Amino acid sequence: MGKFVFIVPPLTGHINPTLSVGAELLDRGHQVGWISLDENLGTQLPEGGQLLLIRYDQNDQEKNNSEQYLDIITKKIVYGIESIKFLYEEVLVPLNRHMFDGIVAQLDLFAPDVVINDHQLFAGAAAAYLKGIPYATSVTAPAAVKMMEDLPKIHEWEINQIIELQKELGIEEIKSVACSELLTMVFTSQAFFGNMELPGYYHFPGPVISHRKKMVAFDWNKFNTSNAPKILISIGTTFDHEYKKDFFSKVVEAFGGENLQVVLVSDPDLFEQWPANFIVQSRVPQLDLLPHLNAVICHAGHNTVSETLYQGLPLVVIPIAYDQSHVAGRVVATGCGVRLNYRRFRAHHLKDAVREILSEPAYKKAAEEIGRSFKESGGTTRAAELLESLVLYKEAATMDK
Amino acid sequence: MDQLTEEPKKLSNEEIFDVLNQFITEVIGEEFVDEMDITQDSSFTKDLEMDSIEIVAFSEKVKIHFGQNINFTGWLSNMDLDEIISLKLSDIINYIRQCQ
Repeated sequence: MGKFVFIVPPLTGHINPTLSVGAELLDRGHQVGWISLDENLGTQLPEGGQLLLIRYDQNDQEKNNSEQYLDIITKKIVYGIESIKFLYEEVLVPLNRHMFDGIVAQLDLFAPDVVINDHQLFAGAAAAYLKGIPYATSVTAPAAVKMMEDLPKIHEWEINQIIELQKELGIEEIKSVACSELLTMVFTSQAFFGNMELPGYYHFPGPVISHRKKMVAFDWNKFNTSNAPKILISIGTTFDHEYKKDFFSKVVEAFGGENLQVVLVSDPDLFEQWPANFIVQSRVPQLDLLPHLNAVICHAGHNTVSETLYQGLPLVVIPIAYDQSHVAGRVVATGCGVRLNYRRFRAHHLKDAVREILSEPAYKKAAEEIGRSFKESGGTTRAAELLESLVLYKEAATMDK
Repeated sequence: MDQLTEEPKKLSNEEIFDVLNQFITEVIGEEFVDEMDITQDSSFTKDLEMDSIEIVAFSEKVKIHFGQNINFTGWLSNMDLDEIISLKLSDIINYIRQCQ
């Protein structure tokens, strides 16, 4: 049996897919660990999964440094293309630099056969590369790959940030090792990703959304008694209160008192009062809810979009930052929904957009088609098979020696 | 007049600006443009709040319109992150005028 380790950043959207694939690997009898900075990850791991916590608590300063990285991404208001600069310069590069030594120490202790690094946790790839451990890469934000085509210079700029850091970490080669040339798994289907020439080590196992622990309380009673169409509204986990206030006040204006049952993901204390047709919770059992919904409104975060399309539901997407503009572009290009501009949209645009996707059957049909393409891509089973092939690769490489 | 030797008409700053303004309207919608004070000094990301997909859509339109005379996509795709963030209408107008 193999020994696998995921190396994850403290970002929910990047962790969730690894929980599904990890659970599948555990079911198949492998040993699976997660290297992370966040001790809270322990409670989310599938049964049998080991948390390999990065700790630098020799002194308080180091410990404080670690903690400040956990929510660093929520600390600044960013929008559009500028957010990519922020993401690399102020989040990813410092985070990767900070995690590197801890990753190396954990790899020495756990001695995995195969490393799986998140594509934005290039320190994980660098550590595996330097230690000669075969590694695979988990791409949880596929639009970043697509950016190569649309805005090649921006992609080049990203790669240069990675190469600079790699140099610092001791890699001489002048190319990014962030994405494994053995196996890079892009967690979507090619139908949703779109056409693009890619090397053969890119695989598309589809979104991996099974095997998630469910333990979020929810007001199912109120939800089930409503006969109105049901929509979920979420702008994910990475945006702070200022964004949410601005965004959700338009949502309240658009849907308060309408013939809709709204489930909204937010701290309920954000406003003193919410309309009666709203259920507001800071966490919801999103995967359990989706089969009972008619549509989703979101920030075009890749995971929420994938989970929604998996259920064949249409979307209104309102991208805010990072790769979301591109994910939203794919939602529109595949006919699965309508896109609004976060800075410019008003309540009435949102209302019109939701009416449009609920009344025009083409959106749902297109979403069902993408949902089918997701299911045909193989999901966690396929991802686990691909990873298992790397254990064989390692064994073959060892025998050659 | 001999058709073959006729020079293509050179557009002035204002004429190019009008064309670009039209494309911006098509990308972000008339009702928003009406409220904005778009000038040659407007930047795409800060002032017009366009995100990357909107900028790509805009550049497609410029390419189709001015296509035979300029390599607009080539010019834009050679821009780095900081240049795109600070890109203004006047930069595009100057580029198109240079190519005429």
